Amino acid sequence: MKFSIGIKFFIILTLFSIGICFSLIYGGSENLNSSDLSSHFIFYQIRLPKTITAILAGACLAVSGLILQIVFRNPLAGPYVLGISSGASLTVALAVMAGSSISFLSTGLFGKSYIVFASVLGSLLMTILILFISNRVKSNVILLLIGLMFSQICGAFQTVLEYFAEPNSLKNFVLWTMGSMSNNTQNDLPLFITLSVICLLAVLLFIKPLNTFLLGENYAHNLGINIKKSRFWLILLSSALTGIITAFCGPIAFVGIAVPILSRMIFESSKQQIHFASCILIGPILLLLADAFAHSLFKQIALPINMITTLMGAPLVIYLMFKNKQG
Amino acid sequence: MKNKIPKIVLQNTSLGYQKSGKDLTILNNLNFTFYGSELIGVVGLNGVGKSTLLKSIAGLLPILNGQIELDGIEVTNNHVHELVKKVSIVLTEKFGGFNLTVYDVVSAGMTPYTNAFNQLNQKQIEMVDIAIKACGLQMFKHHLVDELSDGYFQRMVIAKSLAQQTPIMLLDEPSAFLDYASKHELFILLKNLAEVQEKCILISSHDLDLLLKYCHKLLIVSCDAVELIDAAIAKSNTAFMNIAKGFI
Repeated sequence: MKFSIGIKFFIILTLFSIGICFSLIYGGSENLNSSDLSSHFIFYQIRLPKTITAILAGACLAVSGLILQIVFRNPLAGPYVLGISSGASLTVALAVMAGSSISFLSTGLFGKSYIVFASVLGSLLMTILILFISNRVKSNVILLLIGLMFSQICGAFQTVLEYFAEPNSLKNFVLWTMGSMSNNTQNDLPLFITLSVICLLAVLLFIKPLNTFLLGENYAHNLGINIKKSRFWLILLSSALTGIITAFCGPIAFVGIAVPILSRMIFESSKQQIHFASCILIGPILLLLADAFAHSLFKQIALPINMITTLMGAPLVIYLMFKNKQG
Repeated sequence: MKNKIPKIVLQNTSLGYQKSGKDLTILNNLNFTFYGSELIGVVGLNGVGKSTLLKSIAGLLPILNGQIELDGIEVTNNHVHELVKKVSIVLTEKFGGFNLTVYDVVSAGMTPYTNAFNQLNQKQIEMVDIAIKACGLQMFKHHLVDELSDGYFQRMVIAKSLAQQTPIMLLDEPSAFLDYASKHELFILLKNLAEVQEKCILISSHDLDLLLKYCHKLLIVSCDAVELIDAAIAKSNTAFMNIAKGFI
């Protein structure tokens, strides 16, 4: 069964469109009625922001994972493994707990950008820390282990914070850690769309380094790639993508690691421009699907999206690890 | 040989590693000039600094003292874009995974000449095909890198280096995994490239008889001295005979 790249993209694009339509029409407990005023409200105030959020979150997380897997030449790397998500979680926890005692920080647009700032700051700080170490550590495997240790440390601090937190802010935070596409209102969208689209487009400047990194650093250097500079920018972009999504949707599990692997299985190509395009489509398909499941499994109750992505992603990753050892 | 052009010039060059701010010098105060149309064998015992020399010329290791010039361009990080069109290197390290095919790797040699999306034009595609053919890889063109034997992996990275179209080629023990006939074929190919395309090729190897048979010159690296001699007079050279330990 050999399909050309064009046909594969056509199929994925079709699934992508079906996912969007499905999410817009069936993505909630209410059935929409075109003449109804409340349906109109639900469509524009809830469904549309949610669908846009899911599309961008899927795309950004998948591209973030793609970058990390190549930069660390480890097909099983992801924002989690390097502790970037945990860094973002910890600073958001700090922000939420601190913000609950200051009233203007916990509500409105200002509250949202405050959380975004905390999250991006957390993932950036973690990235700078990892970068600082990566200049001293030659082996990518050791770097991944250090990333894991950092995420453990962040988790420990987070537990301490949760232990001493007030019940109200604790619930907010715990809900946030379960991930949701529905937190974004129309007012949040401009900021969210601008930030994530800029970061996604910036990745296009680094297609050549991404392709060349596959041959290892020495060969990449001999092909004219400035290793330190491209690696710095790629890790920065990857962590910004993760940070933005974490702020708006919570730490979404397994999309970042699973989508690039799926893309490599489907396209059987080593060209990262192809994977960039397909990650931007497959990521949203996966998240829209997960969101649809979250809303339709039980009537009137929306399950946390992280539960669905973990149940979909974790077995997939385990299966892939068994199936093709090199990923 | 008429009007030879200096391709690689080492002036008072010291080479080695930098570890936690300290210089670990392996090769001290080298002064050599290598010319175009020359196939030069780099000979030496294990761990004496053959790889260090080749990697430093390619700019992969810092130059601790003095300088190296390639075709008139000094080897520093500021000149990377010009340098990668002058020098290509074949290393012993391996890579794979991520769906890399032989064709992908060989066409990666064209990276210095392509646009931001690595697209090849018609002429570049032909050059990649020529490189693949020269290394006898036509059969394996669309095979995954992970499926290659060590010998064919070696041929693939040599083909990548050919595709890079550089006047200077450095090869670090490229013959290690090749079978007997392929070793000879490789040396004949390199000698041919040196003579016809006026390339300057440095090859490190432990196959002394092949080096003697095909190389124009030998660079003999030992702990206390580095010397450049004509391959024809190698058997009367003490350093060379010390490395051969009388087996040649």
